[in-house]
Amino acid sequence: MKNKQFIIVALSIVQVFFCNAQETINANDPNSFIFGGDSDFNTATLELQEILLTDLEPDPGNTISFGVNPSDMEAGKPVTGAGGTSVNEDIWLNFTYRGINYRNARILVYANQPLPADLEIKIQVIATANTGGNYNPNPNYNPIVASTSEQVLVYDFASGYTGDGEGTGYQLRYTIDNPNGASLPTGFEIIYEIR
Amino acid sequence: MKKALIYSLVILFNTSIGYAQILPGTLDVSGMPSFVQSIEDTVKEAGADDNTVGFESDFDATVISYVLDPTSIPLIGGVTSSEQNCSLNIFRYTVYMHTDYTPPGLLIEAKTTFNSGVRFPLSSPYDNLPVQPLGPRDLTPTSGSSYIAIPNNGGQAIKVFEFVGCRTDIPIQFRIKASATVPGVIATYNIHYTVVGSLL
Repeated sequence: MKNKQFIIVALSIVQVFFCNAQETINANDPNSFIFGGDSDFNTATLELQEILLTDLEPDPGNTISFGVNPSDMEAGKPVTGAGGTSVNEDIWLNFTYRGINYRNARILVYANQPLPADLEIKIQVIATANTGGNYNPNPNYNPIVASTSEQVLVYDFASGYTGDGEGTGYQLRYTIDNPNGASLPTGFEIIYEIR
Repeated sequence: MKKALIYSLVILFNTSIGYAQILPGTLDVSGMPSFVQSIEDTVKEAGADDNTVGFESDFDATVISYVLDPTSIPLIGGVTSSEQNCSLNIFRYTVYMHTDYTPPGLLIEAKTTFNSGVRFPLSSPYDNLPVQPLGPRDLTPTSGSSYIAIPNNGGQAIKVFEFVGCRTDIPIQFRIKASATVPGVIATYNIHYTVVGSLL
């Protein structure tokens, strides 16, 4: 009795499976299905847009603050050596890129205004990751000293996408060297440009 | 009343003949769809793939028609027109679609709407039968008004819709979902349509 019930249930499952399956034919072999009918085709044209997108995650919230805790300051020691945050590795760079006519792209980095004397910011790719993306990283792992001149952060890459959010794309390290405790000018930005 | 009875007998006679052979017909495909992505159609979030957005063609980017061919009348001579054949020979037609040579990451979807297109001819004695063996001469999309992914493989051509009796001017709309990895070049692809007739 149990065997009979099992067989009925199994048959029902098989039937449900076939009912839900999408119906297909081998259109390359008309002899396999043609009783009456015909076939034809038309030609479609596809034109896709170029895509050049990059951002820094977490977004919003990718502003970095390098400060000094006054209680950590000690006479005779440099300000940044007194325990103030001088390294940040929390920022991830994402991109989505589709090139026209198979053109490759790069990611450049530069500052929107000059830095004060004796204040240096270095940007460095320290890791790459791919969570849900499809891309060839090809990063420049060397530290880059931020300036108003464009510098290559990611070398030539083909169309692709890094995946969105923290933990995918390029992990960046910001290092600040600010022995005299200078402040950045108002509106100072480090700009990443995919081109 | 007598007229209806005669039509019924003719239909039944033709149906029984039809079991031996479905009459040949011709599929006409018109329209050259042009899928042009606009800036608004592209992904807005860096890192995400462009296929999360997608864009649609006009609702009638392609229009297809299927009618039975005219036939010659043996012994008597003369020709039975396409309209006459379609009026007296009612079959079920299933439309399968596939593409070829599309790049990886490009998804082409298609759909039409319930009862789109036009019955050919507009009226038939079959429409007045008290019992219509194949149901009314309607068009039924496979998945309601939802899009169906068209495989890039003729060996797996997929059913998109079916209709009973000849039908003309059936509009087909497309939706394109292209990965960022699909090259940004102007490219052409063939979209194939296969109509299969059946008696049931």
